[in-house]
Amino acid sequence: MVNFNYVITDEIGIHARPAGLLAKAAKAVSSRVVIKANGKEADASKLMAVMGLGVKKGNEITVEVTGDDETEAAAKMEEFFKANL
Amino acid sequence: MKDKIFGVLQRVGRSFMLPIALLPVAGLLLGLGSSFTNTTMLETYNLMGIMGPGTIIYSILSVMSAAGNSVFANLPLIFAMGVAIGMAKKEKEVAALAAAISFIIMHTSISTMLLIGGKGATVLESCENLVSSGFIAPNSYGDMLGITTLNMGVFGGIVVGLGVAALHNKFYRIELPQVLSFFGGTRFVPIISSVVYVAVGILMYFVWPYVGIGIAKVGEVIMQSGYAGTLLYGLMERLLIPFGLHHVFYIPFWQTAVGGTMEIGGQVVQGAQNIFFAQLADPGCTEFSVSATRFMSGKFPLMIFGLPGAALAMYKCARPEKKKVVGTLLLSAALTSMLTGITEPLEFTFLFVAPLLYGVHCVFAGLAYMLMHVFKVGVGMTFSGGIIDLFLFGIIQGNEKTRWIWTVVIGIGYFIVYYFVFSALISKLDLKTPGREADDEETKLYTRADVNAAKGASNNAGVSSTDPVSALIVQGLGGKANISDVDCCATRLRTTVFDPKLVNEGALKASGASGVIHKGNGIQVIYGPKVTVIKSNLEDYLASPESDAPVDVSYDNKENSGATESKKSVKADVFAPMKGKVIKLEDVSDGVFSEGMLGNGAAIEPVDGKVFAPFDGEVQMVYDTKHAIGLISDSGVELLIHVGIDTVQLNGKYYDVKVQNGQKISKGDLLVNVNLSGIAQAGYRTVTPVIVTNSDDFSEINVTTNDNGDINTKIISIR
Repeated sequence: MVNFNYVITDEIGIHARPAGLLAKAAKAVSSRVVIKANGKEADASKLMAVMGLGVKKGNEITVEVTGDDETEAAAKMEEFFKANL
Repeated sequence: MKDKIFGVLQRVGRSFMLPIALLPVAGLLLGLGSSFTNTTMLETYNLMGIMGPGTIIYSILSVMSAAGNSVFANLPLIFAMGVAIGMAKKEKEVAALAAAISFIIMHTSISTMLLIGGKGATVLESCENLVSSGFIAPNSYGDMLGITTLNMGVFGGIVVGLGVAALHNKFYRIELPQVLSFFGGTRFVPIISSVVYVAVGILMYFVWPYVGIGIAKVGEVIMQSGYAGTLLYGLMERLLIPFGLHHVFYIPFWQTAVGGTMEIGGQVVQGAQNIFFAQLADPGCTEFSVSATRFMSGKFPLMIFGLPGAALAMYKCARPEKKKVVGTLLLSAALTSMLTGITEPLEFTFLFVAPLLYGVHCVFAGLAYMLMHVFKVGVGMTFSGGIIDLFLFGIIQGNEKTRWIWTVVIGIGYFIVYYFVFSALISKLDLKTPGREADDEETKLYTRADVNAAKGASNNAGVSSTDPVSALIVQGLGGKANISDVDCCATRLRTTVFDPKLVNEGALKASGASGVIHKGNGIQVIYGPKVTVIKSNLEDYLASPESDAPVDVSYDNKENSGATESKKSVKADVFAPMKGKVIKLEDVSDGVFSEGMLGNGAAIEPVDGKVFAPFDGEVQMVYDTKHAIGLISDSGVELLIHVGIDTVQLNGKYYDVKVQNGQKISKGDLLVNVNLSGIAQAGYRTVTPVIVTNSDDFSEINVTTNDNGDINTKIISIR
């Protein structure tokens, strides 16, 4: 398992558009990606669950990546967060 | 935008190369055949005994002439199909079929409109009536594939080819509702094309005659003005060739009193060509009438010298590695022009990629006719101005009678001028004549461009480039390397694999197949009527670099990790959660939702602020900003109801949520009470997307639109 923390800078937090992009990005890697925030956790590839976390600007999230390509996948996910959130 | 137009033009130009490659052969057949079967010519040279009608030579030449002519007579159809093939992005054979059908339909529609409009017993009679009533110009109609129709020439073929290709690229993967799905995908292309070209045919009946009438008017002007008239004649004649309207224009000059009247050997002869041949046959003639041949002689310097100069310029300007390929095309086209005076093979190589060059060419053509007029050159022709005709009707007749020497003197000048003007324009303006196309497009023989085009198409169609169904099929068939070919019938994907042992039925079933049949190396996967769409998508996927990656990623791994990628066999319906007009998600015109980024679904333009449960299930979550609510049905459909666009910014204002996370709901339960006018006044749209967020789990999600939906209206059905 590989994990990293990230502080959200997007004005409206993880809402519809970014959540859609995130789900897509998470599905594109074969490892499982889990996001932990506000004491809850969600599978990143599940749009509804991600939106349900209610992540706002300034919140710190923890991203856990588990699977065959976890190192690579974690790097990709971190890149994604920096670019989109 | 400019680049885009240019790219399209270049593609159009390239799509002409297939039919053009045929023209030199057809041109030689026609040119040799018709020159040596002209009885006036044969009589003049006392050749009737050896090769006159009835001799074997004459028969062979007649067949050659007719065979060559058939290509030119049907050139519009050949272009319609050729352009459709060149412009279609995928499944080109379907575009070709649709183009042929559309071409026939368009001309038949025109023909029927002519019959009705002219009130005659036959179309021909109707056309004559229409000519006398002034609706169409004389000689502006004729026979095309046995249909009496308006002459539209190659232009008519291009109208069909481009239009059909556009329809094809838009619709070749259309998914129709289940009941009609047999007609979906590529099968829809000939259908929609037929319908469209009935309408185009009717439209052309009203529009095209004005073009013909305008040209006939220009003809009248020309006769009234001397050298300038000859120049205009030459320019117009060249300019009209791509539109097939040159006959409207030159036939009156060649065959009727418009081109002059003269008494020869006691007989009154009308028309420039008739005058020339009457003089040719008249032993008493000492000099050919220039007022007649001014409508012909200009072709000789142009076709024997000028165009070959242009060909040499194009050859010189081609990139070194292309010269060999381009050289053969240009050389054969130039020879055809020189020998027979058939210029289309050469002209069409630059007409569409560089219209400017054609414009220059038209001006030079006009000047050639004028110069021949000025130098009183009296060389006539059977039908065009190649070396054969120059020899027969110029050189053999003697310089005193024809002054043919001027065609050579001016011709040499033309060769030089064409060579330098074309070279300068091509290199200065970087015109994409043959052998100068952009690198990656031609050297890799279309594949690279086609892949990119396919990518563009799939993005437009809203299908993500990571196509999970196709990926599953490829995996199920044992990987890309194991697939020999892919085809389909009405309900089955028919494939041939190299090693049937590698086929994984589970993966195939997970892709939505209802059954898999093994027959040796042949694998048939049964999908039902929508298989044509699946096949198109699969072909796109196989053509994309993505499919080269090792398989066995999505299916097995995801299942191990708990994320289900396989399709659930679920039948479920979603009812409208709000009262109002039900529209397609694409029509929301908001990037996030309409691009299907969150999943497939519908949207409602609500007229009432009450949001009701659209099925039996559970509230998965209420967002803290209250503007969106997530539900899950008992059958596993995850649904997001997002009231308004960008309403996250309202922070819950105007929203009164009546349910809590985890609460059980039944269809029709009130979920949220929304103040729609408040949202509208705050400056936000109230249109409410209803999205199946786990769309990937289902093989089919169909949306039913409704102008006046209420909570008993079914809006999404899932299969």
